[in-house]
Amino acid sequence: MKKLLTKLYILAFMALVVYFGVIIWNLTFAHIIHEYHERNAANTEHTEESLAQKKKDDKSFEQVILKSEKRTKHYLGYRVLEQQYIKGHFHHIGYDVGPDRHSYCSSCHGDMPHDSVTKDLRAFLNMHAFFIGCQTCHARPEGEMATGVYQWYSRETGEIIPSPVNDAPPGTYKAKIIPFIMENGSLVRIDTQAKIDFVEQYRLNEKELTEGQKSKSKSIIHNVVSKKPVICEECHSSENPLLPLADLGYPKRRVDSITSTEVVGMIKNYTKFYMPKMLNPGVSHPVDPVEPLLPVEPAPSVPEDENLPPVDRAEG
Amino acid sequence: MLLNLFPGPRWSFRALLVALCLLPGWLSAADMGNCLLCHKYPGLSRIDQSGNMKLMFVNEEIFNKSVHSKVKCEGCHADITKIPHEPAKPVDCLAVCHIIEPTSEQKFSHKSVKTFMDESVHSKVDKEGKLKKYNEDMPTCKDCHDNPLFRPLAFVKKVRPGIADDAMGRCRVCHEKEDFIFRFYNHITTRLHKSRSPLNVAEACGKCHDDKEMVKRHGLTIMAGSSYQETFHGKAANLLDESIPDCLDCHVVKGKSVHQMYGNDDPRSSTHPNNRGAICNSVDCHPNASVQFANYQVHPVFDKEKSPFVYWFTSFFYVLTGGTLLPLMAILFLDLLRRLFPNASFKRRK
Amino acid sequence: MAKYPRIKIINGEKYFFRFDLDLRIQHIILAATVVILVLSGMPLKFSDAFWSPYLYALFGGITMAPTVHKITGAIMLLLFSYHIFWIFKVIYNDHYLPMKREGTFTKGKFAMRVLKLPMVPNLKDLRDVIDLMKYLFYYTNVRPDGDEYTWKEKFDYWAPFWGMFIIGASGLIIWNKEFFTQVIPGEFINFCLIAHSDEALLAGLFLFIWHWYNVHFSTSVFPMGTVFLTGYLSEELMCEEHYEHYVKVMKAEGYEKEILPPHGGGHAPSCSKHAPKGGPGQSPPESPSGTQSSEHLVKEGGAAV
Repeated sequence: MKKLLTKLYILAFMALVVYFGVIIWNLTFAHIIHEYHERNAANTEHTEESLAQKKKDDKSFEQVILKSEKRTKHYLGYRVLEQQYIKGHFHHIGYDVGPDRHSYCSSCHGDMPHDSVTKDLRAFLNMHAFFIGCQTCHARPEGEMATGVYQWYSRETGEIIPSPVNDAPPGTYKAKIIPFIMENGSLVRIDTQAKIDFVEQYRLNEKELTEGQKSKSKSIIHNVVSKKPVICEECHSSENPLLPLADLGYPKRRVDSITSTEVVGMIKNYTKFYMPKMLNPGVSHPVDPVEPLLPVEPAPSVPEDENLPPVDRAEG
Repeated sequence: MLLNLFPGPRWSFRALLVALCLLPGWLSAADMGNCLLCHKYPGLSRIDQSGNMKLMFVNEEIFNKSVHSKVKCEGCHADITKIPHEPAKPVDCLAVCHIIEPTSEQKFSHKSVKTFMDESVHSKVDKEGKLKKYNEDMPTCKDCHDNPLFRPLAFVKKVRPGIADDAMGRCRVCHEKEDFIFRFYNHITTRLHKSRSPLNVAEACGKCHDDKEMVKRHGLTIMAGSSYQETFHGKAANLLDESIPDCLDCHVVKGKSVHQMYGNDDPRSSTHPNNRGAICNSVDCHPNASVQFANYQVHPVFDKEKSPFVYWFTSFFYVLTGGTLLPLMAILFLDLLRRLFPNASFKRRK
Repeated sequence: MAKYPRIKIINGEKYFFRFDLDLRIQHIILAATVVILVLSGMPLKFSDAFWSPYLYALFGGITMAPTVHKITGAIMLLLFSYHIFWIFKVIYNDHYLPMKREGTFTKGKFAMRVLKLPMVPNLKDLRDVIDLMKYLFYYTNVRPDGDEYTWKEKFDYWAPFWGMFIIGASGLIIWNKEFFTQVIPGEFINFCLIAHSDEALLAGLFLFIWHWYNVHFSTSVFPMGTVFLTGYLSEELMCEEHYEHYVKVMKAEGYEKEILPPHGGGHAPSCSKHAPKGGPGQSPPESPSGTQSSEHLVKEGGAAV
């Protein structure tokens, strides 16, 4: 036993010595070698090939995505403000929402899914998407499935949690509202494990699927999506809002604010001046010059911002 | 000025005022237009055409501790006159805003900054008024500044970061508005010391001056930020020393502002060889230091061509350290290996 | 010296004199100052490492740590001055005066005598290093027999000795830069900074890895060598590291018959009672237990774990 322990100790110490060796190398000779390469690179940088290579590297996933997000720390003395660094951003953020790791929608569509289709509203819609699950607005469970039950799930774990609203600053909940439906006689979340697994399998097998299989998967994944999403006024209305705000933990003050005349009035103005067709999403904006590529027809089976690009690619 | 929130005929101005008065405390003085109704949401964001994230969230708590906390949203975002609004245009920092500058009693503006900048080494135009080569690299306001935050100090008992409540109590004797007292206290004490920590200053300058491409394009000899970090000054800045000199302490002429910086070859510059000595032996730094003390390389680089002496001297120590320790590590390793199998050997001496 | 018998016998075990109290106190002060200096200096050298703020905070952060560093450095330099004085004192008392008394003093002879002092590196050290390499590469099973001070100990002594000049001088200059630059050019401060920090890194790593391994963490002495506290070394370690000196001392002190054989080294020293004639001799590592005294077995176990 003693002998074994001794041998183990020796082995561990040997590993430590190798580790020290690496540290020492990095602290000494590595600097000299690094300087040599840097100096050489600086002298030979302007060849055509190296420039082309560089341009290519600049557009790589690693450069554009992985290395693009930086964080800064402001040392204020009484506190350290750490936040995401956005180039040219003037106002301070001081708050990290964190991505939704649970939603199977955002695994393709992202956490800021609303894009050019809803140009004037996209920021508003994205803002709501930070605390309202996609299915809350884009699925309308009908008939037996409809329950009117909504709950919060954690953006981090995906689990149902008690209402985070309370006195938290608006929109900073790190949780999302998800509808519940009746399935086979029991009350379940609309994003059932079966659906999550289905999407996961699709994403895993995507490369091997045939055209038919691919389109079929997409159609099945999106079949929960309703033709007309829930629109602003269905919730921002003092009369019978779609979401049971009180049940979701909103205190009266907040419910009043959400359904207040100013919010509702603003939405009215939006619908009147900015988005006359807001009640018919998917239909192009008649005065918007960016949109004419889209069909001026009744919406396809799902809202366009949800499925257009992937389907295009799948069929093309 | 109030924004006309609801242009529709149904909403009278008076009704709006009532609504504003009834709103809870989070409505700050700066947010007369109730912009935070939407902009308080951290998720108010989108990805623009070129794939960059646009975040429209304004953190009110932090904004209220910034030097602009008294400026109304529309004071800078002047193109926005109603809610809802079109995508906002970029803010013109030089605009005349609605704050009255108390000494001149004129409306406040950052216009003088432009005059300073045009004179300085960072201007877009050269002396003849022609655009410089690569003038797009030259900094504009937001390249160096985000919304400057207050860094209040307390002096009453000891100098420490933060607000001295005893001092605020004295203000309250004569001044009534809590908001004014808070801002005035913050403004004064922030101005009495560095408005950014040396580390943050070095980072701000390093955004360009540590950018390899830019340094090369503009014919600069060194990476200013990273070489600063090689000196005691930069290292202490890393450890959040506030009294250590950062870029601005040496490169800005005493009594002038950061916007009036000149190149090293300009005789007006504080870092011109003739003026250098006076920076180092200023009363706050190294009083009584000789002029040749300023020959100290504050931007030493480990580069054989740029500073051969530093290169060879450092290399000597690298080789000495590595050359001593690595063989010793090898012996150590072998010694351990030998102890692993103490009884084995090729040749035995009997 | 009567004050320190060359061999002390405690509970039947022999212990061999190494360092007197004066040296031990010098060593402890040196060790303490080195540890403090390294800990309060390295966070500055590696100021962007994640651990540096925490370590620095231990010494009062940027406002206090430099002062701690300077005071400790001053203590260390004082100690070094004392040590130099001590060296001259020893040479004067133990070598110069006796030669004078005997009337054999000439400058040449005196110089030779000083050069033959046990701490001065000599050709045997070179031979020992070569022999050690043979042993480490499994070429032979015989460890070189160390004299009173082995090459490792001489290295451990002279490396910091040289470092003390470099670090001490550059440290003093950086400390009093305004004063020194009245004479020397400002660029020199850069060199001092490089020399100070790089040499300190060398010294720090050298002491905390190499030196500590040899005196504490090696399986022969693990978990801790005690000679720096007691001044006496156990017979077993004496055999392992300083066999040549061991034999000399044993003979001089009249224990000729009790001289243990050298051992093959390794973590299980195998001293046996077969008395050889000093120098490299037999080592029967395959059958150690039969010839070993039970006392030794107990001690080995303690040393090995």
